Amino acid sequence: MIGATTSAYLARRAAQQERVRILYRRALKDTLNWAVHRHLFYRDASDLREKFEANKHVEDLDTINKIIAAGEATYNKWRHPDPYIVPWAPGGSKFTRNPVPPSGIEIVYDYGKEDND
Amino acid sequence: MALRAAVLRHIRLPVQTLTAAGSRPQPQWSFLRLFSSHDDHLTKEEVIDRVLDVVKSFPKVDPSKVAPDVHFQKDLGLDSLDNVEIVMALEEEFKLEIPDKEADKIDSCNLAIEYIYNHPMAG
Repeated sequence: MIGATTSAYLARRAAQQERVRILYRRALKDTLNWAVHRHLFYRDASDLREKFEANKHVEDLDTINKIIAAGEATYNKWRHPDPYIVPWAPGGSKFTRNPVPPSGIEIVYDYGKEDND
Repeated sequence: MALRAAVLRHIRLPVQTLTAAGSRPQPQWSFLRLFSSHDDHLTKEEVIDRVLDVVKSFPKVDPSKVAPDVHFQKDLGLDSLDNVEIVMALEEEFKLEIPDKEADKIDSCNLAIEYIYNHPMAG
């Protein structure tokens, strides 16, 4: 193949690999959201891994793009409506619950000692 | 008030002097829960221990090869998808939420330990 190892080819492959990794990460988190119990999660996670491994040896860039697009479509279809997000992260329950008070504000502890004019 | 003062006058407690002026020895205080969240950042050794435990308990990894400066794909012979799985396991261990772009860059134990140690919310 002429363009087997040109830098453009490698750059596109690297971009595709990054897309695959991010897709796998999101799909794995989604699997954990759907299958909360660990024994179910492990089974579903290995099924997901099988699906990714089956397409591992494809070399043609366009086919890879199509497979990644199909994978992302499946991921979008199966997204959990109420995913678990760590509380302090955006989307979690503690996010901006106690924001840092603006600097320059202080509480003056003089209860009982104020002179009310 | 007078009864209280009288009672207090009759109770004597031994006075304990602190051992060293500036140091808080961590192992001696480990049985005491300090409820202030002020200095509860993880120590580097704790981070290293927990990260190495997570990596060692990964089924595809040989536990004897794991060291704090090991590269997941080069030294341990893992796949890029295995890399993703290890980063997810670290996220679950330390209750972190790592953004996708950052998680993609974590490639070795070194980077993982640095990232987790410098993260303000690492549990």
